[in-house]
Amino acid sequence: MLEIIEPGLLATVQDAGRPGLAHLGVPRAGAADPWSLRVANALLDNRPGDAVVELTFAGARLRALEPTVLGLAGADLGGHVDGGSSVPPGRVASLASGEVLTFGGADRAASGARAYLSLPGGVDVPEVLGSRATCLRGAFGGLNGRALRAGDAVRGCRAGELTEARDERWPGSPITPRHADPVGTWRLRVLRAPPELWSVPAAAADAVFEASWTVSPASDRMGLRLDGGGPAAIAARSRPSHGVTFGTIQLPPDGRPIVLGVDHQPTGGYPVLGAVISADLPALGQLVPGDAVRFVVVDVVAARAALETDRAAFRAALDALRGDARWSDLWRSAGA
Amino acid sequence: MTRPPAHLAALGDAAVLVVLGDEIDEMVNARVHRLAAHLHRLHEADRRFGPPVPAYATVLVPVDPLDPGVEAAIDLLAATVAEVEARPAPEIAAGGTLHELPTRYGGADGPDLADVAALHDLRPADVIELHASTVYRAWFLGFAPGFAYLGRVPPAIATPRLATPRQRVPAGSVALADDQTAVYPVASPGGWRLIGRTDVDVWCPAADPPALVQAGDRVRFVPVRD
Repeated sequence: MLEIIEPGLLATVQDAGRPGLAHLGVPRAGAADPWSLRVANALLDNRPGDAVVELTFAGARLRALEPTVLGLAGADLGGHVDGGSSVPPGRVASLASGEVLTFGGADRAASGARAYLSLPGGVDVPEVLGSRATCLRGAFGGLNGRALRAGDAVRGCRAGELTEARDERWPGSPITPRHADPVGTWRLRVLRAPPELWSVPAAAADAVFEASWTVSPASDRMGLRLDGGGPAAIAARSRPSHGVTFGTIQLPPDGRPIVLGVDHQPTGGYPVLGAVISADLPALGQLVPGDAVRFVVVDVVAARAALETDRAAFRAALDALRGDARWSDLWRSAGA
Repeated sequence: MTRPPAHLAALGDAAVLVVLGDEIDEMVNARVHRLAAHLHRLHEADRRFGPPVPAYATVLVPVDPLDPGVEAAIDLLAATVAEVEARPAPEIAAGGTLHELPTRYGGADGPDLADVAALHDLRPADVIELHASTVYRAWFLGFAPGFAYLGRVPPAIATPRLATPRQRVPAGSVALADDQTAVYPVASPGGWRLIGRTDVDVWCPAADPPALVQAGDRVRFVPVRD
């Protein structure tokens, strides 16, 4: 069991979310970086979609109230045991009762800004509408429908069974897969939307996809607003509101794109330029204000190849970690 | 009357947007919900397709990006869409539960009622009369859990959104935006004009279904005093 001394910028209980309830107005929610959710759970033999704690950027401090085993994945937020060793992503750590785990801050250009802390059996909170994810907009799920705050405690469903010190490490790359980028700029691969639906002038869409952008302070798990290059204002046909997805790129009249995040509203009415490919959604989930972003337009063949490559890398690491085909099959059937 | 054919477009590699029209229109929306019902059955039979997300004139269908992949999914969905759309037009008035929501208009519950009345040279009582005498249809749910977009508001009281949205709108607020009205299911930011409030819980995660008003249902607001 872990007591939250400080939650940092934002700490929430998240799992694979509620992707099937958009028709009721319910955001998908869940881990912003679904890749790291699975890594954090794999480290502890959890199921792929078990609930974890999502930490953001810096400032989180957690105290073990009993001997506690945890897994860590996602961004390197500078995690370390006070007066002791560092706890990098891709590792299992064991805390003695009373020990404090502190996250000093991210080198976000290197690995992103969100870390995932797993506990044995998944974080023990009630399931609401098929998921333990925190729905901040609807104030349900997670711990009492809200972000974690000082004084809260979180416990794994199998906390009592797993208290031995272990030295597991994720055999694959410990950080979220991302498209190659030379100088600290995150690159998100996108599929263009058919231009005839929104009549966005091709030159305007090209300008957005070729410009350099910075994630604006008005960004959160619902979506990233981008500042910087590109055209000043766009004349595009607006359509009645329609369903949108995690990764949809909207273009409001001010010409500054919005990339929808995992907590996005299920419907939206701004013209759509395209969507981030599935393989790059984990990287999208790692972005916070101040990060530099560029888009790379790809086709469906490249999008499929990227996703197959990432899934094969994940399965290879999982097999190396466990060497147990039956267990890997369980994960495969869960879509991991 | 001939209808334009449905248009199916990939939205990224994991969703298909089926477009049945370009306008907010009762008949198009009735076709949307008929199609969504069919696509929901497809989802239940074939999990490569996610649950459909209907809106005014479109249905979004999440698809597995590897199997079948978004391009094959468009081909598979096109057959279902063509079959459903070839049938006679559905009846607009058919189906849908009628929900009557007791509503306190004006005062602290509806702080924008007086402004709405003034903008239309009406008395607040006229706005209440017009708003409460209409039976609204739920076009679809979006924005927030359980938030049903209801229409149409009589033209005499249709009012644009606030220039600056409120940081916090209380749960249960009854609001106007253009020719639409809605109940805020949970406290949230919002730019619609608040004209009243209801104590009916339109959203309850523990209930089945959690949203009181489903797409295609009808809603009438019933004026009450404290």
